[in-house]
Amino acid sequence: MKLILSDRPLQLDLNDQQEIRFIDLSTLKITNCVGCFGCWTKTPGKCVIRDDAPHVYPLIAQSDAVLYISRIRYGGYDTIMKTMLERAIPIQQAFIRIVDSETHHVQRKVAPKNAVILAYGADSKEEQNLFRQLVARNARNMNFEHFQVHFCTEDSLEAAVREEVKKWSGS
Amino acid sequence: MERIMILNGSPRASKSNSRRYGAMVSACCKGKAEYFAITRQNHRQLAEQMERFSHVVLVFPLYADGIPVTLLNFFKTLEEYPPENKPVISVLINCGFLEYQQNDIAVEMVRFFCRENHYPFGSVLKIGSGEAILDTPFRFLVSGSIRKFSRSIMAQKYRTFHVSMPLTKKLFVKASTSYWTEYGRKNGITVEQMQTMEIEG
Repeated sequence: MKLILSDRPLQLDLNDQQEIRFIDLSTLKITNCVGCFGCWTKTPGKCVIRDDAPHVYPLIAQSDAVLYISRIRYGGYDTIMKTMLERAIPIQQAFIRIVDSETHHVQRKVAPKNAVILAYGADSKEEQNLFRQLVARNARNMNFEHFQVHFCTEDSLEAAVREEVKKWSGS
Repeated sequence: MERIMILNGSPRASKSNSRRYGAMVSACCKGKAEYFAITRQNHRQLAEQMERFSHVVLVFPLYADGIPVTLLNFFKTLEEYPPENKPVISVLINCGFLEYQQNDIAVEMVRFFCRENHYPFGSVLKIGSGEAILDTPFRFLVSGSIRKFSRSIMAQKYRTFHVSMPLTKKLFVKASTSYWTEYGRKNGITVEQMQTMEIEG
């Protein structure tokens, strides 16, 4: 499965809805992670907050290709995307393993991913570099086998998304 | 006179390790520090209060490799309602992993915010194994680091510090497995249940 996770509405013509899922996070009700560890130690694999996030993180786990579209703030994901990523921790276990000589959480049934991040709103090279470093860290914690980060303006965003989706169709 | 505002940016403020770390900083600052937790409702109030302080110490956990949404949203309010006199901002960050370096990107995010918004940047303390270290025999290592971190802020001689459990990675994995197993057991959950591979299953 392929997943497009966006922090804003996009006009996309997706022919094969089964293969590609598009989720506009801005239309969902997703509250902040409260750091209760319930998804690790009380109801393993399930978040105790029953809003829209439990519909999204299983899709993140299942997808072998993800396209994340997010505004950038202070070198990281802006609120909408970051809130969802924080709420996705039920796809990991509390337990720790060693990955590439670092300690990280054990993943549950999470498909290894090709990830493309389309980032907008980061004007300076400094902020872009910081974001690239962040995604490199995400790769270890979010099971990205390969990843690419592309920066674009808000105006060119939809065209950039279509371009990425076209690459999926050709793969 | 130096006045220090300790701001807890953990989403689980009152039950957080960040609260405990904040209390330790406060104790080192000998009556010059005041503690506040960032909530969803108090961003404007905290931004106004900031005016009274010469220093801010942000205490927060690493969340998904970056700053938690709690702090991110506070920064956005602060950008909109900045204090007239900008305090020096220092960072005390903790992550549950052994490597304190996993906090680096989050620290750089705060530094970036400070640079963009013209806040002087102060000292940094990066804590690895921060979920459990306070309740282990290694607590004294954290106490020592927090003392040095706090002194550097008071003396305005800003530095970067770090601390973690002095364990090999393998031993850390073993110790953390015991920690989380016990955490689950207190909730009536077995190791096998915690290790389920099912998601929303």
